[in-house]
Amino acid sequence: MALELAPDQSTFNPKTIAMWLIPYIVAVIAAFAAVGLFIGLMGYDVLKAYETVLFTSFRSQNGFIQTLLKFVPLLLQALAFTVPFAAGKFNIGGEGQMIVGAIGATAVGIIFADWPLLLLLPMVLLAGMACGALWAAIPAWLLYQFGMHEILTTVLMNFISFSLIDYVATGPWRDPAAGHPTTIPIGVGGELPLLISSPPLHSGLIVALFVALVVYIYTDKTSAGYELVVTGANSRAAEVYGIPVRRLFILSLVIGGMIAGLAGGLQVTGSQHRLIEGLQSNFLILGLIIGLIAKGNNMAVPFVAFFIAVLEVGASALQRTMMIPGEMVFIVEALILLFVLLSDVVRQR
Amino acid sequence: MNNHPILRMTNIRKTFGTVVALDEVTFTVQPSEIHGLLGGNGAGKTTLMNVLYGLYKPNAGQIELSGQSLAISSPKDAIRQGVGMVHQHFLQVDNFSVLENIIMGMGNVNPMEATAKINTLSKRFGLTVDPQAIIEDLPIGVRQRVEILKALYRGAKILILDEPTTNLTPQEVDNLFESLRFMVKDGMSVVFITHKLREVLSVCDQITVLRKGKTVTTLKRTEASEEAFVKAMVGDEMDIQNSVVFSQGDTDTIAPATEQPPLLQITDLTVQRTNRLPVINQCNLTIQPHEIVGIAGVADNGQKELAETIIGLQTITSGQVRIDEVVVQQNHTNVLLNGQVSYIPEDRMQDGFLPKATVAQNLILGLQRQQPYSNGRFLNWGNIYQTVRQLIAEYNIQTLGPDDVGANLSGGNIQRVLIARAFSFPSKLLVAHNPTQGLDIPSIEFVYSKILAHKTAGMATLLISENLDELLLLCDRIATLYKGEIMGILERPQFDKYQIGRMMSGLRIST
Repeated sequence: MALELAPDQSTFNPKTIAMWLIPYIVAVIAAFAAVGLFIGLMGYDVLKAYETVLFTSFRSQNGFIQTLLKFVPLLLQALAFTVPFAAGKFNIGGEGQMIVGAIGATAVGIIFADWPLLLLLPMVLLAGMACGALWAAIPAWLLYQFGMHEILTTVLMNFISFSLIDYVATGPWRDPAAGHPTTIPIGVGGELPLLISSPPLHSGLIVALFVALVVYIYTDKTSAGYELVVTGANSRAAEVYGIPVRRLFILSLVIGGMIAGLAGGLQVTGSQHRLIEGLQSNFLILGLIIGLIAKGNNMAVPFVAFFIAVLEVGASALQRTMMIPGEMVFIVEALILLFVLLSDVVRQR
Repeated sequence: MNNHPILRMTNIRKTFGTVVALDEVTFTVQPSEIHGLLGGNGAGKTTLMNVLYGLYKPNAGQIELSGQSLAISSPKDAIRQGVGMVHQHFLQVDNFSVLENIIMGMGNVNPMEATAKINTLSKRFGLTVDPQAIIEDLPIGVRQRVEILKALYRGAKILILDEPTTNLTPQEVDNLFESLRFMVKDGMSVVFITHKLREVLSVCDQITVLRKGKTVTTLKRTEASEEAFVKAMVGDEMDIQNSVVFSQGDTDTIAPATEQPPLLQITDLTVQRTNRLPVINQCNLTIQPHEIVGIAGVADNGQKELAETIIGLQTITSGQVRIDEVVVQQNHTNVLLNGQVSYIPEDRMQDGFLPKATVAQNLILGLQRQQPYSNGRFLNWGNIYQTVRQLIAEYNIQTLGPDDVGANLSGGNIQRVLIARAFSFPSKLLVAHNPTQGLDIPSIEFVYSKILAHKTAGMATLLISENLDELLLLCDRIATLYKGEIMGILERPQFDKYQIGRMMSGLRIST
């Protein structure tokens, strides 16, 4: 897979952008056509299904805000994957890091519930990031110390986090009024300010975009980020040329965990104001898909993430209005990834 | 029957994708001759012989053995037809005996009879070897004899040797040539593949020159001058008169600045891992400004460890390395990061190149924190692209541009990237390990002239090479490594390749 991370001036001329975009457009059209065939055979109106999936986000303010709310965790999960990916490490633990981040954020939000906004909100978000980072630091340490493969350990840490959230959401902080494992709410000072009050859009959007910008600058514009990319491209050569690769493996995983933890913190402070079991949704898988479709290019990640958010919102609408299973959209997303990866193979021939 | 050449390959064509490796090549070998197949890297020598040996199927062309046209579809076929091949990298089982390696794959063989046959062959051709010896205990020259015996044992009438002198000491080369003479006297034919002109001139009867997949000429040794072959090998692209590659090692250069402090000083250096023999043992070496010091030796005698100790990658057990009078910190390659040393690693794909990154990213590796590429924190892509474009032009790197992905480059161009990068370091010391491997002759010429230009500018160079001719051509002094020890250091007027050869096989020379 090519890591096209160096933005030459020539990258911004229309021809190279077109060359870069064409495989994506072809992949999207091919994926829609394939799934359209199925939907058609199942007896649904294909064109109406396409319209629902693609335009629900843009037809109403509510639809657009729903899309943005999906976009925030998707973007962060994708970045939690692409930062270690740049160093050649696979973080498949974004889910667990997000859950543990949410737990940490909730804990601080409940314990210090009466602190004022200016103090509590940063503390809650920092707690989320710290807990996510810690959760990623465990596989990172196992890798550094014993050479245990990070794919295995990060996945397994997810399962531990499922039990952990189960324990916290049914434990002493349990909200007895709720029918689902849920904690009591965090202090009001821990709630993210709203950008739009009705329908509510929280300011996590700005935080996520800011993180995406910082990550892009880090990986593409700094010497340290270059060293990360070199480590991913050939860790032995990086080591020969003086780059502390083993430390960068650790750093990249911990940064990934921190970003995933922040995603958890934003879910708590922005959307739910409490810890709800299942908050991780399927953001991890979608994050991987986004990161891989973007081929690790951190400039492309926000755009891909937004597109996937549009599809996700469309998927719920599809189920609601046309009774077509929302999983169809998941198939579309997977096929887009498959076709994009395929286009690389084709181009190399 | 006697009118027929023993081997005739006519109009052989072989393509790999869009690359034409062999283009209408015609190659004829007469009985009882040593036929040199000469050409630079990428000329198609090995491809042609792999076609004969049944490893590649040609797209077009004919193969005749003793006048009979036939198709060879596998090495098994080739062996049955009396073609034997000794590859550059031996195909041997290290912990088996010589005998076992020779009879391997031949079904039920009586070991006594086999031993007797091997002994007869050894005696007849001067290929002295003990059939009971274990392969891994043997030096490379003897292991090569085993490969030759393997082919002879199977009744080879034509023996193909692919770059047989790589890693042999000059004495071993002489022995090999003597054996080849015995073989052709006995009625066999030998095809000797090499890129070293002087070797073919000293041993071959006929010489065929290949260039860029085409037969350029076939000449009798006695009928042509050295210049004729040089011209055939490189074409008109090169100024042969003024070239370094074809000079006799008498290129005028500045003498080493002995009165100045050394740029590299290695003192009592030992590198040893627990419970192992030392890989570097009590080495002492200094390099002055304007000096090129060569390291000769058979591969894997500590060359790589020496290079990596200087750049700070290996942990030093005892002793010291000083670069420009500053002690190199152990286990820190900050000497490379600070641009104090230029390094051309031996294993370019593993140790020096980033196939997944762009050409621009490859060219700045090690300099990513230095001006003008960076202010220490942020990269300056404008400057990077400007410099990278200059380097691509200056070093003639064949690529689509700075954004081209490294994996798209050919081996020779990858080496050019590594060389361009090494010479763009602001350092006074160059450590180059086999810098011309895989390059064609004009590129080798280019590398040599760059090394000499930097010497003139005051650079100190440690040139580690398996190619003794390269060292004899360029160096002011040559040290020979054997099992991690420096066996002796010769200065230019006293260069004697046989003496170096003795040191390469472990004999210490008192100097």
